[in-house]
Amino acid sequence: MNSDYLDTERQDNMRMLAESAQTFAIKVSPLTRARGLRGSASGFDRGFWGKLAEQGWTGLLISEVFSGYGQGFGEMAAVVSALATQVAPEPVVPALVFASRVIENTGNADLQQQLLASIVAGELIPGVAWQEELAGLQVNLMANAVVAAPTNSGIQLTGEKHHVRPGADCDGFVVTAKQGNDLSLWWVPANAAGVKVKSVALADGTSEASVHFNGVMLDESQRLAQGEAAMAAFTRAYDEALVMTSVELLALQKVMLNMTLEYLRTRVQFGKPIGSFQALQHRAVDLLIQQELTSSVLSQALVMLDDGDSNVLERSAMASRIKARASDAGLLLARESIQLHGAIGFTDEYDLGLYVQRALVLSAWLGNALAQRRRYAQIANLSI
Amino acid sequence: MSTNQTTDWNALDTDTFRQTVRAFFEQNYPAEMRYPKTRLRWAEIKDWYMTLSKKGWVAPSWPQVHGGMGLSPEKLIVFIEEQERWGVGRAPDMGITMIGPLLIQYGSEEQQQKYLPKIIQGENIWCQGYSEPNAGSDLASLRTDAVEDGDDFIINGQKTWTTLAQDATHIFLLARTDKTVKKQEGISFLLADFTTPGITVRPIRNIAGHEEFCEVFFENVRVPKANLVGGLNQGWGIAKALLGFERIFLGSPKQSQYALSRVEEAAHALGLFGDQGFVDRYTQLQLDVADLSALYVRFVEQVKRGEKLGPDVSMLKVWAAETFSRLANLLVEITGGSGAVAGDIEVNGKKIDVLTSFYNARPATIYGGSSEIQRNILAASVLQLRS
Repeated sequence: MNSDYLDTERQDNMRMLAESAQTFAIKVSPLTRARGLRGSASGFDRGFWGKLAEQGWTGLLISEVFSGYGQGFGEMAAVVSALATQVAPEPVVPALVFASRVIENTGNADLQQQLLASIVAGELIPGVAWQEELAGLQVNLMANAVVAAPTNSGIQLTGEKHHVRPGADCDGFVVTAKQGNDLSLWWVPANAAGVKVKSVALADGTSEASVHFNGVMLDESQRLAQGEAAMAAFTRAYDEALVMTSVELLALQKVMLNMTLEYLRTRVQFGKPIGSFQALQHRAVDLLIQQELTSSVLSQALVMLDDGDSNVLERSAMASRIKARASDAGLLLARESIQLHGAIGFTDEYDLGLYVQRALVLSAWLGNALAQRRRYAQIANLSI
Repeated sequence: MSTNQTTDWNALDTDTFRQTVRAFFEQNYPAEMRYPKTRLRWAEIKDWYMTLSKKGWVAPSWPQVHGGMGLSPEKLIVFIEEQERWGVGRAPDMGITMIGPLLIQYGSEEQQQKYLPKIIQGENIWCQGYSEPNAGSDLASLRTDAVEDGDDFIINGQKTWTTLAQDATHIFLLARTDKTVKKQEGISFLLADFTTPGITVRPIRNIAGHEEFCEVFFENVRVPKANLVGGLNQGWGIAKALLGFERIFLGSPKQSQYALSRVEEAAHALGLFGDQGFVDRYTQLQLDVADLSALYVRFVEQVKRGEKLGPDVSMLKVWAAETFSRLANLLVEITGGSGAVAGDIEVNGKKIDVLTSFYNARPATIYGGSSEIQRNILAASVLQLRS
């Protein structure tokens, strides 16, 4: 499991994609755009989403069967990383990895055809509604509080989900629900009767939502999967989302470290650049070590995701492991970058804050470092 | 005698090579000496050294023409991984890992013929005389001097922290041969036989109660000019050039993996896996070790591709040594009131050795360039932060 497994042609293609994604992101998504969208109605720009679709990136991961481009996670990482470097606020990982992959991993061909084609076209932005606790430290992929129950007039969905991204202007939800003793996965359009979306503002100026399903009537055709198939499809997509969120976190880490190093080299106090002081040098080195640990584990995680034969438990353990490292390292880089900058790092005017706040959001999303380590411990016990 | 001259180890596929090495270690290395707690003395490990010597395996990295196995970096990594896997103890190996490769690269033909075979045969045991009482992290400020006198150098001064000098027959050392130039430019690389008059070796007892390093005193020690390696005043460059890809072995995750398994064993005996506070800390360290492996693999891959290691490999040493240290600290902490017992403690029928890891972790962050020096290197050469 190493980079040797990737053939040279694919590596070349990934490098080219990374370069063109960077060029695109810098040109079309300058930091002023991210800054301007903070706190706006949806927190992101649907017009920009259309440009992602024009590039073919909304369909990058989606298989050709569903009018996508059938690329791997290595390729998707190149795009995700470039956009994260510019703190683009669009919900790329929530919609194009997490939600899309749940849909693609299930077996409801009609729904897949319909939803995935709209996602590729950039017309549909989906989210996943799965978390039932506001502040839990255990990752629990099974639904309990949201129930899909039969009534005289059909199946009815009831309960509330939290931490759904995007938190506004989301077109529909993949919802995890308890059905009997099973996990079931449903597609629920945001405008369905009984769906109430309450947006919650996040640190970075985007939003998440608490979504209340108040007796939403479900048709069988909306069911993506049930039972073991549902759990397998959902777990897989969840793990993929953990890894791709870590890709974003690493991109943020790199920018924060570079900004901090540039500052240390140029800020003069006591007649010298402050980066000449050993106390500060050593702190900067510790940030480098965390960034490089993240990067080393991430390369292995991406190879594992692209390896169709990888073992399910190993994949979950790896996904939690990288999300834990990337989250902790991301928050460390964020705090230390502010400290090493001094007061300027704490001002809204200075761009560092954009990265710090995005790091806060992504560290918490899908389960923070502590929650991921607990999940890792559970999985490690299972595989013993 | 060995079949080394005729075996092209690098032609074997990795798995076959690994199985061959593994089988030999498993069948021949003495079981009671697996995973030694401290550095083994020559008397303890001599038989194993001679076994390897007869097999033709004592110098895996040397070219075959000099009696080595001629392993490529990739195969050498496998060889070392298998040593670590089986807990094979380390002999006083400065001859094999340091002076041998250095003589092969910089030594004269006479020096090569005189010294290399005796290293292979276990006749000469070498130690490294670099550090001095006032030249540790700032090694280039060393003051032991060598003055030319006819066909000889006369050496005066003191070396310290010389690992297993009491078992050695020879020492290679850095000595000042020009006091008038920049400190790095007045140092030469010399060889000395311990039977030369004027050399005194005094073992130093460490806080773990072991004598693993020594002081070495030089009082008017005459060594022939033929013992100069490389050119006069070229010693600093030669010593630094020796820091090859072997540096990644200082960052091997093996030591931390072993310490983690000791913590796990102790925690089971102490019933700590029901304690969420402990489990959270344990898992964090478990992931620190797992992620150390990922970082290690990255540098190993670089070596396997035939690329040179850069100064960034220092981060591997820092993370490896400090992770090991955190594990050792945890072991002391979880044994609570028994955390200071010398020797094993017994809990629920299980023996737990608390302090060996603690003691072994102290030098780990000091030797081979302390964590602070490694951070200086990373700051200057990787982060481009100038002092």
